[in-house]
Amino acid sequence: MTMTRLTRGAWAAPGTSLEFKTGNWRSTERPVHAHAKAPCHAACPAGEDQQAWFAKLQEGQPQQAWRALVHANPLPAITGRVCPHPCETACNRAALDGALAIHNVERWLGDEAVARGWAYPVDTPAPDAPRVAIVGAGPGGLSAAYHCVRLGLNAALFEAAPEAGGLLRSAIPPTRLPRDTLDAELGRLLALPGITLNLRARLGRDVTLDGLRDAFGAVILSPGCELPKPWSVRGAVPADLHDGLHLLRDFMDHGALPDAARGDVIVHGGGNTAMDICRIMKRAGANRVTLITASALPGPNTARDDLINVVPRELEEALEEGIEVIEHATVSRLIMKGSRVTGVEIVSLRKEPGPDGRKRRVEFEGTERVLPVDMVVPCVGEQVSPDGFEGVLDGAYFWPDDAWGRLREDGVFAIGDARGNRGTVAAAIGDGRLAAQAVAARLLGGDAPVADLRPERGVAGLNTAYYPAMRRTAVAKLPVAKRGFETEIEGGLSRAEAMAEAERCLSCGNCLACDNCWTMCPDSAVIKTVEAATDGSHYVFDLDYCKGCGLCAQECPTGYIQMVAETG
Amino acid sequence: MREALEGSLAIARAVAMAKPDVVAAYPITPQTHIVENLSKLVAEGDLHTEFVSVESEFSAASVVLGAAATGARAYTATASQGVLLMSEVLFNIAGLRIPLVMTVANRAVGAPLSIWNDQSDAMAVRDAGWIHLHCASNQEAVDTTIQAFRIAEATELPVMVCMDGFVLTHTMEVIDMPGQAQVDAFLPPFAFSRALDSADPRTVGTLVDPGWFAEMRHSHHAAMGRALGVIEKVDADFAKLTGRASGGLLTVTGDPDARVGILAMGSVVGTLEAGLADFGTEAGTARLIKLRAFRPFPARALREAVAGLDTLIVIDRAISPGLGGIVGSEVSAVLQSMTAAPRVLNYALGLGGRDIPESVYPALIAAAANPLAPRFAVFDADLDKLMPEDR
Repeated sequence: MTMTRLTRGAWAAPGTSLEFKTGNWRSTERPVHAHAKAPCHAACPAGEDQQAWFAKLQEGQPQQAWRALVHANPLPAITGRVCPHPCETACNRAALDGALAIHNVERWLGDEAVARGWAYPVDTPAPDAPRVAIVGAGPGGLSAAYHCVRLGLNAALFEAAPEAGGLLRSAIPPTRLPRDTLDAELGRLLALPGITLNLRARLGRDVTLDGLRDAFGAVILSPGCELPKPWSVRGAVPADLHDGLHLLRDFMDHGALPDAARGDVIVHGGGNTAMDICRIMKRAGANRVTLITASALPGPNTARDDLINVVPRELEEALEEGIEVIEHATVSRLIMKGSRVTGVEIVSLRKEPGPDGRKRRVEFEGTERVLPVDMVVPCVGEQVSPDGFEGVLDGAYFWPDDAWGRLREDGVFAIGDARGNRGTVAAAIGDGRLAAQAVAARLLGGDAPVADLRPERGVAGLNTAYYPAMRRTAVAKLPVAKRGFETEIEGGLSRAEAMAEAERCLSCGNCLACDNCWTMCPDSAVIKTVEAATDGSHYVFDLDYCKGCGLCAQECPTGYIQMVAETG
Repeated sequence: MREALEGSLAIARAVAMAKPDVVAAYPITPQTHIVENLSKLVAEGDLHTEFVSVESEFSAASVVLGAAATGARAYTATASQGVLLMSEVLFNIAGLRIPLVMTVANRAVGAPLSIWNDQSDAMAVRDAGWIHLHCASNQEAVDTTIQAFRIAEATELPVMVCMDGFVLTHTMEVIDMPGQAQVDAFLPPFAFSRALDSADPRTVGTLVDPGWFAEMRHSHHAAMGRALGVIEKVDADFAKLTGRASGGLLTVTGDPDARVGILAMGSVVGTLEAGLADFGTEAGTARLIKLRAFRPFPARALREAVAGLDTLIVIDRAISPGLGGIVGSEVSAVLQSMTAAPRVLNYALGLGGRDIPESVYPALIAAAANPLAPRFAVFDADLDKLMPEDR
């Protein structure tokens, strides 16, 4: 402190107490703003930052929210309906009063954008911008095309079918995804300048991979999996075998099922296609539909990797509709009368360590039992149809080297279900975005994309005392008796409900602007700024006066403030 | 003009004549009537002041601190537990050298709970750094209140005007109230040298590091020393204007040649004067010393006042348990430097509202005649009321 003459009563020149730089008492830790990933974001295969778009809704800006959403996922009206929403499984609010209804709000935003004609936040690429060929106009290819345009590239889609949509159109019933919703959202995307769509253009028949590589700067392969995996039981295959995917396609195209589907049906498998065909057959008049799955139904002790991999609400609705499920079982023998199936023997599975020490499922001898059936429908997965990809496929699928889908062939990328370990629309959409980023870096220059390695902010990192209890918004569902083949089963949210649900977002890992740090800092060492600071928040730490007490970090509801070790 | 007035009303009128800019107070027996009367004067338009109704004595003291810091003339009043609740702010007011005036209607401090008069409350904050002036009558309390504003503003020290609760505050007395013109002539408008000014900001209450604290304390103590002369001069000026002095630092009455002296503060002085008049011939006369300034403590004036006494009886209206009397101890300390200091007998009297009758006078004179009289006692305690082990 400078030598000052104090008046009587020690009245001093103004501001003198600021000369005591209490910040130099700080010894071990200092607070920092750390924008960690919210668990929803970390779990989202499409790479959406749900926290970011919920924040815009909390500000009362639905269009801004939609723009933040489509920065990653251009098809929210679709994913809001068909995604198994791992974001909700991961949501920190699940530990309080129920996960956010993220998929319902996503769907509302998507529908709102269609209804109000909100324009996608992309510029038209220059006519001479590099061109990218994309094989397959399913969710992965459409996402890749959108992101190519967003990043300044022209995109040409090559689709074997007469319409775009891929399995969105061929394998998802209208009861989950109404066709007008599908057409509206795809139509808006495909109308973007810079995207051209070539229909009935099948690789290997109408175009070749080499031809595309010659004519385009890069090729993104998103053919999906349209070939059912071979299925037999100890070599036996019924003569009139219909696999689930084809039954589903035929039913959606012609509205008809084989006669045997009126009796007792066994569906063997455990994915969303299995679920969809079970429900359609039941509604179409099957006497009894039983799903035989190696996985487990959800329960308090069900391990995450043991859980049947379907959209949770689809399973719930299937059980409501009377679908029977036999878990931890497989088909061990077909009982044939001539070439026709009259029964199946099933056997339970148990886990046993294999030669490599990892547990695997083996048949549990002695648990065999026989079910009389009229039809067996295998639904054990699909693989890439190899036509046109000879030499590029590695077995049944593509196995790219990295998250961006780079194949060994220079300038060729593979995305979506064809990667073999994906399996959701959202993953295909995420793949499309990542491949487009890598392609843009390759064709336009600039840094190659890097993985986001920020940590995830789990519920233990929040101060949940600051969040008042709010119940999850419930949506109406069509009663079982009214469920048919067209009307959507799950209802939507009203604007008021969507906005209210957004209020439930905890803003995990990002600043809520709640003022707790500013209010509670005992040293007034948190300064509130009018303009956003470089980290995007409206607060900065005045380290001249911060004693490092950690109160701000303790009282930060979202874990955005972290104490880090002082260095030096 | 001479009027028969209740003490509290007279004080309220005296405060009003000083034209305070801000009054903040919280009611507490036996002070309540003072601020009630002030609020009536405000309500009736006879007093133009910012009257702040606060939620506690802590706030009352804080409000007047802040008001005075801006250059406003400020007043508050309290008693007993109210003084204690204010105590942190009282130290701040004095340490910040804020001039303002507070009446303390002296009352015992609980526990045991008592609403009655003694001087424990003022004694509890004797080291806060305030000027303490004790009044023996309502006339003195009125005159001292007006003087207190001038003393406070001249010394930049807060002044506590002490008057015995109930005995003075609730008693009708014929009082010669000064006229407004007299008060205006005596008390110029407050012009605070350090008044806060937003155009020239100052920090009040800053942290003072060890390099400055001792100097601040020394300066405060020295200001108290200089206040002794200010108190005397202000009383003399007041006497010139009104013909009435309030007793300067202390006043000597009674028999100037007596070998026994009795020193007291507050209304008990009147009782002793009556006792001398009624019992003096029979029991023996005494020199009576009315101590008005308890802080600053008038050491030199005291030594002059007791010169020639064999025995000085010091009456305490409070007690410091484990030591004895408070005024008595301080008087004993300052008399140490005398070549022929009188023997000091220190007696606590009238604690917690115990009545002090005139007959206490001959009893005190008898004690002075007893060479084996205890140096300290709670003089009027009836120990037979206590269990033997508690005596």
